Amino acid sequence: MSTISALANVHSTGQFGDCENKNDNLLNISEIKNLLIVQIVQYKNSSISFESIDIDGLNLKDEPLSVVNNNETRILWNGPKNWFLISTKKDLLNNVLEVFKETDFAVTDLSHSRAIIEIEGEEAIEVLKKGCPFNFNTLEKNNSINSTYNGIAFTVDKLDNNPNKIRLFTLRSFGESLYHSITDASLEFGYKSL
Amino acid sequence: MRSQNEFSYGGDATVKRPDLNKEISDQEWDNFVYNRKSLRGKHWELWQHISGCRQWIKVERDTATHEIFMTLKANEEISL
Repeated sequence: MSTISALANVHSTGQFGDCENKNDNLLNISEIKNLLIVQIVQYKNSSISFESIDIDGLNLKDEPLSVVNNNETRILWNGPKNWFLISTKKDLLNNVLEVFKETDFAVTDLSHSRAIIEIEGEEAIEVLKKGCPFNFNTLEKNNSINSTYNGIAFTVDKLDNNPNKIRLFTLRSFGESLYHSITDASLEFGYKSL
Repeated sequence: MRSQNEFSYGGDATVKRPDLNKEISDQEWDNFVYNRKSLRGKHWELWQHISGCRQWIKVERDTATHEIFMTLKANEEISL
């Protein structure tokens, strides 16, 4: 059985908005699919140390905004003792279930319950500023936040600075609404849908 | 600094549940469940960072000016 991506009904390729004479400066908007997404939460009454736990060569860090990452995997701080693991290695889930004991951690596979939009381009931050109250001037490369965009709860993960490359995660059921909000805000700058 | 949009109001932070197994009057139970002061001025409130890290916090806020004076973690005691 083939799977249908969260934005399959709304995402279409092409150029949209104010695109004239902006060939190099257009925003690129794409849907990211087939990632492993796992939420890891340490129980309140658990006292074991998580710093030494190794997942794909990475260690958890309980620090606001922090993203520990390598080429395939990123671990986003989602709240105190709460992380979001994103990876292109789908089989990493077995490793995660093995190293995080169920007596101390709640591990939930959210791979099919999120819609992911990636925006790349100089104006990507301006698009986010239009609908989100967070001060994006303070968001560095490899930082992540949870906030709202036009009232839709979402997670922002900044992959790169120059040009800005940002991944947005939202609940799958909010995906189409967020996609419409983001693309509408991008029309002013012109965007290429990949 | 996070916007108020990300937070959700969770009620009066000074209300304490009566001790477990303690004999209490209907009036005391009524006060715990229903009766609230509607203060104008400084007030300790519970707020949840619902669109962020989802943590509950205590906030001392002026209900007239929306000025925030102090915040505490949910498990920290308010010293009045």
